[in-house]
Amino acid sequence: MAGVLSLNPPYYEALKRLTLELAGVNLGSDHAFLVETRLSALARKEGFESLDSLVNELFGSGDTRLAVQVVSTLLERDSHFNKDPESFAQFSKTILPELYSVRGGGQVRLLSFGCAAGQEAYGMAMAYERLKDQLPGLSVEIIGVDYPSSALDRAKAGRYTHFEVQRGLAARDLIEYFEPAPEPGSSDWIISHPLKDLVTFRDVHLLSSLGSLPKFHGVLFRGALPHYSGPAKLRVLRGLSSLVLPYGYLLLGSNESLKQINFGFDPVDKSKGLYRKRKDVSEDLAPLEEILPLEETPKVKSNGRTTFTKTKRQHNA
Amino acid sequence: MTSQRRCLIVDDSKMIRRVAMRILKDMNFNSSEAENGKEALDLCKLDMPEAILLDWRMPIMDGFAFLKALRQLPDGKKPIVIFCTAERSVERITEALQNGADEYIMKPFDSDIIESKFQLAGLI
Repeated sequence: MAGVLSLNPPYYEALKRLTLELAGVNLGSDHAFLVETRLSALARKEGFESLDSLVNELFGSGDTRLAVQVVSTLLERDSHFNKDPESFAQFSKTILPELYSVRGGGQVRLLSFGCAAGQEAYGMAMAYERLKDQLPGLSVEIIGVDYPSSALDRAKAGRYTHFEVQRGLAARDLIEYFEPAPEPGSSDWIISHPLKDLVTFRDVHLLSSLGSLPKFHGVLFRGALPHYSGPAKLRVLRGLSSLVLPYGYLLLGSNESLKQINFGFDPVDKSKGLYRKRKDVSEDLAPLEEILPLEETPKVKSNGRTTFTKTKRQHNA
Repeated sequence: MTSQRRCLIVDDSKMIRRVAMRILKDMNFNSSEAENGKEALDLCKLDMPEAILLDWRMPIMDGFAFLKALRQLPDGKKPIVIFCTAERSVERITEALQNGADEYIMKPFDSDIIESKFQLAGLI
């Protein structure tokens, strides 16, 4: 495989390091082909002459915007509707009914953290639509967040290819919640409006301060945790803990758990990755700044390493 | 040893039947094939499969006429029928589901789609 790839091995190693330092995610040693194909596409899209030109610009200029774009392209996941159905079933079986029984109505705010192309967020909206007659007076606001990427752009548009709408989505849901794209010859499908109005998406650096986000009654973070490095896991789980309201829920993938550190959560059904936040956890949580200062903004250096620059100090200088 | 489940592939395109058969083999299904609805109906009368992957437009007897005739057979309610067709309008999908299809695949398809739809239909 190495013979057909054009990217120099030292650059590949530098990109792996960049992804780890910027997003806390370990790229496997066998991802060279993925790196090559995805970044070649990004290079074409961004008007670079070749993949080499993009990489030279990235490590030569230390352009943070380009670094985030490269990393989010590398981390784009092949997400689909109803992924990990055993885990997702907890949303309809436990999270929504329990929130309703405790609150009896009002609005609940839900977060799809690392939402990729938005299937999970829209999946929550569909689940709510199916259940809402049993939950009178309860409304939902769903927010999906991820690094800026073409996947997130597709989530915002609510537009999917005919391949995407057939992976994990029942035909009955397709005709109920989607409309065919209006352009002649297109085989895409677009989320229909009543459902789209329940969901918004935001560009968020998942390891940065999450202070700009509101508090949530439920957070879904499924399937990504195993890819994070140890320190990044700590940081992201601390951040999520601070976002979940008392008695709110955190849903991980069905084979994922918080392990030794509970982050203020009690397991509801440990085997399915479902946790509920305790009422008062402030005494359990050391400040996040002890792990990584919140104000730091990653900046890529010409050797492929990232540095962390104090944003406030920059403003003061 | 688990016994292989059986799927009947009904499509007038030999290439589509071949591709579907290969995908279903990887999913541990034993497949048979028919090139129109009449041939498929005869096969079902002899030996009813667990699943049927069904094209819509075919000569002699189309998929819709086959589905209606199938559901009237003794034991004809049993097989799970998944339409697999180039028809992709909301009206066609609705019509198929209202008339006894369990799932619906729009061509072109890949192995992920077949697997996902078989999962949704409770076949795997």
